[in-house]
Amino acid sequence: MEYVSPEGLRLDGRRPMEMRQIRAEIGAVSKADGSAVFEMGNTKVIAAVYGPRQVQNKSQQMNDQALVRCEYSMANFSTGDRMRKPKGDRRSTEISLVIRQTMEASILTHLMPHSQIDIFVQVLQADGGTRSACINAATLALADAGIPMRDLVTSCSAGYLNSTPLLDLNYVEDSAGGADVTLGILPKLDKVTLLQMDSKLPIDILENVMQLAIEGCKAVANYIREILLENTKQLEFRRGV
Amino acid sequence: MEEEKEPAMVTPGEVLGTVSEFKPGKGTYVAPHNDTVFASLTGYRRNISPAIDSSDQRPIVEVTGHKAHGPVPQPGSIVIARVTKVMARSASAHIVCVGTKSVREIFNGIIRQQDVRATEIDKVDMHLSFRPGDIVRALVVSLGDARAYFLSTAKNELGVVSAESTAGATMVPVSWTEMQCPLTGQIEQRKVAKMAS
Repeated sequence: MEYVSPEGLRLDGRRPMEMRQIRAEIGAVSKADGSAVFEMGNTKVIAAVYGPRQVQNKSQQMNDQALVRCEYSMANFSTGDRMRKPKGDRRSTEISLVIRQTMEASILTHLMPHSQIDIFVQVLQADGGTRSACINAATLALADAGIPMRDLVTSCSAGYLNSTPLLDLNYVEDSAGGADVTLGILPKLDKVTLLQMDSKLPIDILENVMQLAIEGCKAVANYIREILLENTKQLEFRRGV
Repeated sequence: MEEEKEPAMVTPGEVLGTVSEFKPGKGTYVAPHNDTVFASLTGYRRNISPAIDSSDQRPIVEVTGHKAHGPVPQPGSIVIARVTKVMARSASAHIVCVGTKSVREIFNGIIRQQDVRATEIDKVDMHLSFRPGDIVRALVVSLGDARAYFLSTAKNELGVVSAESTAGATMVPVSWTEMQCPLTGQIEQRKVAKMAS
């Protein structure tokens, strides 16, 4: 199938190096210590952060650092075919682990011993790149919760179809069977915290695709910073009134 | 250097300066490899000039976040706790206030027999010192074991500050070991806190 037309447009009308529109909102869950909604095109996820709080399961308590937990789930109505998936299937267990490890790399866990931080992410609408959207939402929620972090973690995916590197794959492109690279970086520190790829790519092409993904991550980071600053400004304004 | 009037807003990961310029304060951290100070919170950045007599003349840079975390009991802090269970050698309690601030989640505390009062500590009868439901002012002695903070009431101003009698009325302190019910006149035993008049 043709994923990039001769005019250089993708199926949804984007250019190969174009991202979908992103939108973020802070404070979606009032009960949580921090929360956010993150949208990348038609992918929409909600994240809630609780903590740092006392460890629920004492046997998991650590004396030198905080325990970070993450739970990923997909709403039944998030995909086109309404499927009843058992909670804790292999896919969601894997993504939970990936998100947890990615976020743990950025959180200054040694500042909060004897405590735990819970991150809950749920996919409300799935259209490819849920992993990236979840990580971005989790970053926003953690920053909203005021949990100390080394840097924001941002994530973006990139792929390679019709011998063209494509940024931010949607569901159709994701299921095309080409390579799909999900990258998570600490943008200011220039460090990679997550790199996943399914299928294979020659190393020189991987470099191009990864560079594209890095650009995507940095664009997301700029947007997230804007949102955070805007949110802080508004909170200050409200406090001042 | 930043103007004090217009504090800059920062997000996690932003560079604030180097260790030679600034002393890292709250909401910041130092990367171990390049001696750079980064922000770890979202909020306003502030430079605080050092104390005049301190040997370190670098200004302290800190980032104040907008979310205030609930207070956490620390050794030495005075807490208000509600007694939940009284046993022969100890009483357990839920800490509800640290200093003047109420906590946002429950912390468990335990008052051991030897920490109830300062004198004759081996003759203490826990059941004649506390009852479940009593409001107690106590001192945090240590972080305790994994389950609970160790609390102490071994001072005049520490102990039961408010208690309900079996008749259901709030009792009036009579002496440092007794409280009286205003309805029935019944006297109950407590380790009463001496209130500042």
